[in-house]
Amino acid sequence: MLGYIVRRTLQAIVVILGVTLIVFLLGQLIPGGQARAALGPKATTLQLARFNHLNGYDQPLWVQYWHYILGMLKGDFGYSYKNNQGVWELIVERLPKTITLVGASTVLALVIAIPLGMAQAIRRNKPFDYVMTAFSFILYAMPAFLIGELLILLFSFTLNWLPSQPPTDASAWAVFTNPMAFLLPVVSLAALTIASFSRYMRSSVLDTVAEDYIRTARAKGASPGRILWGHAMRNALLPIITLIGLSLPAIVGGALIIEDVFNYPGMGLLTVQAASNDDIPLILGTTLVATIATVVGSLLADVLYAAADPRIRLGGD
Amino acid sequence: MRAPFRHLLAAGLAAAALSTSAIVVAPTVAGAASKPTVATWAEAPQTPPNYIFPFMPLPYFSVSTINNFQFLMFRPLYWFGQGKTPNLNASLSLAGTPTYSNGSKTVVVNLKNYQWSNGEKVTTDDLMFWMNMLHADKDQWADYSAGTGIPDDVASITVNSPTKLTLNLKAPVNSHWFTYNELSQITPMPLAWDKTSDGAAAGSGGCAKAAYGTADAKCDAVFTYLSKASGFDPSNPKGANNSLSTYATNPLWQVVDGPWKLSKFDASGNVTFVPNAKYSGPVKPTVKQFVEVPFTTDTAEFNALVGGKIDVGFLPSANITKPTKNPFVAGPNNSRLTNYVLDPIYSWSINYFPYNFQSTGDSGNAGKIFSQLYFRQAFQSLVNQTAYIQKIWKNYGIPTYGPVPTYPPNSFASSFEKSNPYPYSVTKAKALLTSHGWKVVPNGTSTCVRPGSANNQCGKGIPAGAKLDFNLEYATGGTALAQLMNVEKSSWAQAGINITLRGASFNTVLGHAVPCTAGQSCDWELENWGGGWVFAPDYYPTGEAIFQTGAGSNSGSYSSAAADHLITASTKGNVALTSYENFLAKDLPAVYQPNPATSLTEIRKGLKGVTPQSPLFSITPEAWRF
Repeated sequence: MLGYIVRRTLQAIVVILGVTLIVFLLGQLIPGGQARAALGPKATTLQLARFNHLNGYDQPLWVQYWHYILGMLKGDFGYSYKNNQGVWELIVERLPKTITLVGASTVLALVIAIPLGMAQAIRRNKPFDYVMTAFSFILYAMPAFLIGELLILLFSFTLNWLPSQPPTDASAWAVFTNPMAFLLPVVSLAALTIASFSRYMRSSVLDTVAEDYIRTARAKGASPGRILWGHAMRNALLPIITLIGLSLPAIVGGALIIEDVFNYPGMGLLTVQAASNDDIPLILGTTLVATIATVVGSLLADVLYAAADPRIRLGGD
Repeated sequence: MRAPFRHLLAAGLAAAALSTSAIVVAPTVAGAASKPTVATWAEAPQTPPNYIFPFMPLPYFSVSTINNFQFLMFRPLYWFGQGKTPNLNASLSLAGTPTYSNGSKTVVVNLKNYQWSNGEKVTTDDLMFWMNMLHADKDQWADYSAGTGIPDDVASITVNSPTKLTLNLKAPVNSHWFTYNELSQITPMPLAWDKTSDGAAAGSGGCAKAAYGTADAKCDAVFTYLSKASGFDPSNPKGANNSLSTYATNPLWQVVDGPWKLSKFDASGNVTFVPNAKYSGPVKPTVKQFVEVPFTTDTAEFNALVGGKIDVGFLPSANITKPTKNPFVAGPNNSRLTNYVLDPIYSWSINYFPYNFQSTGDSGNAGKIFSQLYFRQAFQSLVNQTAYIQKIWKNYGIPTYGPVPTYPPNSFASSFEKSNPYPYSVTKAKALLTSHGWKVVPNGTSTCVRPGSANNQCGKGIPAGAKLDFNLEYATGGTALAQLMNVEKSSWAQAGINITLRGASFNTVLGHAVPCTAGQSCDWELENWGGGWVFAPDYYPTGEAIFQTGAGSNSGSYSSAAADHLITASTKGNVALTSYENFLAKDLPAVYQPNPATSLTEIRKGLKGVTPQSPLFSITPEAWRF
């Protein structure tokens, strides 16, 4: 297992370098370059040239990229003129916010979706299953912003029970100053995930309970609870584990709409903001985070998969 | 088998229910029975202030940073925005109206009796501090224009007394232009800033009290120190020092001459001001805190308005439900905002997009066609600005008919420009083209059938068979501009002018819309970034930056000897703007476009003093009264 992780980590470094190179080169295609993007429409030719010189943007591309990589190795991920902040500092400020949002909503979704999916599987083709299936499809089909807006309308404006927006302080932990204000965004995001997770869980349980070893367990007189908890659930969870691992990149872009609706400045909005401003250092930074999240997510899914299913061996270990 | 599932399901749903059952009601600022002591104001989405030192490089030069943040603490020498006009506001300025003599080569500034929050008077040393820094680091000043205005036009400065200062200029200037475009840039800086390290004594930097232009090295060191304290390192521009988190605690920035002091600031845009107890200006704050609230999007801001969480915000254009009859007066408000009063605000700007007069597009024909005045007249005659304003912006907009804004009310706009020299007329547009040798094919593509330079021919260099077929790239991101481009395309098609639209990001459009360099391929034809030109902080609406031959922001390379002469006359000589304005209203250096309201401000009922709003977007919460 350790050897597998080391090999995957080395591969990840190559992937990360490749992604940064591609994004870096794409950034050079912006008409007017970073100078125009930073200085705006009123900048004169002289000001643009000066900006490029001061920032080293008049150097050969490979020199610029080399400096970027060297800086990255030293922990310097560049500087965002639009924000007057270091890229790393911006990410450190925003990332925990989105991790908190995505993490809390994922936990909430799992707590609801797993039992829901299992219950639907056990009551397959019964009224409960039909109602829950319809409910899941409705949630699944609803755009994220609509769920958010409906919840705000109901709980904030009509019932006046919950704030419509969490605290916006720059501190990553500001959310804990008023946790109830965090509830609507978490529930909104979870609602979307519950729909997909519960469908996967239902289908997975149905597949699992049809396996021979479940029939054997029944024949041996195992109780329904033991069959479900001891034999079926662990296997049925395998697709969910994969889903969770692959949803890790959502810490960059997945919560964008919810961040938008609830005035919650996380990684999703930072990424969009960087792209719309042609803020290349920030685009590189957020892409790096997304790449790392993707690589780590898939690695995590593989490892958890192996941990959950002893039959699976990774990388010939 | 069923029982465990029921329990599991119950547990899951209970967890969800639990998380929604414990509820709180967020306190609202203005919801209390007694008069609120905190006023909240919505920042525009994703544009929090990000620089505190008033002498700033161009990347940080923005309305949100200057007019909505710095000006609350550090007053400019001259305040512009008098009621709804962009005029000089003598009452809020730190100095009396400047006097010009010696054929407009000598300018005298007399300071009023203002003081800093540390008890020191605002004196001519504070003005010299700025001027000396400008002399030393003019390239770092955002509004510096090489060879024009301050500091390049200043020969010497005489400090007559702590309250009187004389600028001796190298050549005569237009007094309006110099006051509105040059003196407008100056912000006096306190002696407490004249140092090069945190522990150093005030004034030890040696910049403020030096004779003009004699302390460049010292001023540069002070500039570096203050810039670093604001987050920017001039010697290492790409190196971040993240000083934003210290803005509210750094003693430097607590020395203010404005009505407010910063008490809280973070990089997300959460800004809290408290009154400066020693503010010596005419209007003192009455609320105990003024809070600027950041928003990620229009939607989030609108939700905050509906929830009553802010006192002054804005109505997103998507949420305008009913049109107004008069663009200068609010129409019916959104029905969900019953606790607010709507007030439209128009910026001191014109809206246009450039023709590329040097375009090599369409085998080199595009630039030649754009150079023909009759074509530009036909093109402009097909732009039905008033109809588009009604249709797209529910009548919250004003047309642009020339190079000077006709609204907000001002003394510069001429009656000729206001009269709309080229009213909408398809018939006239067709006639102009036909009479100049074009075979007009409505909803097709018109072609040149009479090449040549005579009055009834297509024009110099335009060959037979040349087509009125152009590419127009516009900035995407807002639906209004896309709508406008499409209705205009349809209108131009009525005279057989075929426009191919292409959307691109704002920065891409800006990047393409640059003046052509001789000898290089330059095939862009029409570029619309959707913003035209805002006259700030150069408030005198002259055209030296946008329509003078060779000007950096003359995107379309418009060139006219007559226009150049009139521009120079209105900046260097005491000639009124009218001649320049009327000429460019007739000569159409760009495609004039409708100018929508910049903001539809929502003001909580019962909150007084927010209106009239400044067309320059400076806010004065010290005048707000609950």
